[in-house]
Amino acid sequence: MTDTFEVAPVDVDRLRLEVQLKYREVATNPDKGFHFHVGRALAHMLDYPMDVVDTLPPQVVESFAGVNNPFTMGELRLGDAVLDIGSGAGFDSLLAGRMVGPLGHVTGVDMTPEMRAKARANAALLGLANVEFMDGLAERLPLSDASCDVVISNGVINLCPDKLAVYREIHRVLRPGGRVQIADVVVQKPLPEEAVADIDLWTG
Amino acid sequence: MAVVRQAGLVDVRVGCMIDVFSGSAHESDAKDFETRGIVFSARKPGA
Repeated sequence: MTDTFEVAPVDVDRLRLEVQLKYREVATNPDKGFHFHVGRALAHMLDYPMDVVDTLPPQVVESFAGVNNPFTMGELRLGDAVLDIGSGAGFDSLLAGRMVGPLGHVTGVDMTPEMRAKARANAALLGLANVEFMDGLAERLPLSDASCDVVISNGVINLCPDKLAVYREIHRVLRPGGRVQIADVVVQKPLPEEAVADIDLWTG
Repeated sequence: MAVVRQAGLVDVRVGCMIDVFSGSAHESDAKDFETRGIVFSARKPGA
């Protein structure tokens, strides 16, 4: 039997705009207080190595807004080409950039301009020349076929109504044998249709 | 994880699950729907 996956019944353009507005605030005013945790306390909750996190300047950590720790599913290797979908202010991308070393490369893709600007500033602050940040959507990744060894993402794909399109894009950009290490939100109870269509619940 | 497999990825492994909204302002909605942060890996066949 073949599973079929419906695209969530939500106004995609409005959802993307609301997500951009929310994460613009996370980038520019991370201490404001959100309906989800951010920053150092969140990194600690998600079991990131705090001896590493605490070596990072505050602006690298303060806008982190993940939901789990993708690095727990496997080590990145020196020289790996890594894609970070929804890279935000660059927290995971920059950790990955250190792991893959100067012969490796990390591409962070994010649709929110303020997040990309902060991520680029953070990469410069850390002196990481092997990490770049690009504009793009998870459903239309700006990378060529079979160009990545590892795809990571943290708390982003749940914000995409067409998850099958996202995973097909991930499959396209991965090299044969490449892998994903993805953190995301799951709901364990069925969502009523009105909740699925409620953009406030999507963006938190 | 069925959507991951449908896209052509294999060897799906699920790691730990975290009550990531605990203590946040989103906690009530998250509890209603048993929302968790998960992590998983999968592989593209070949090589």
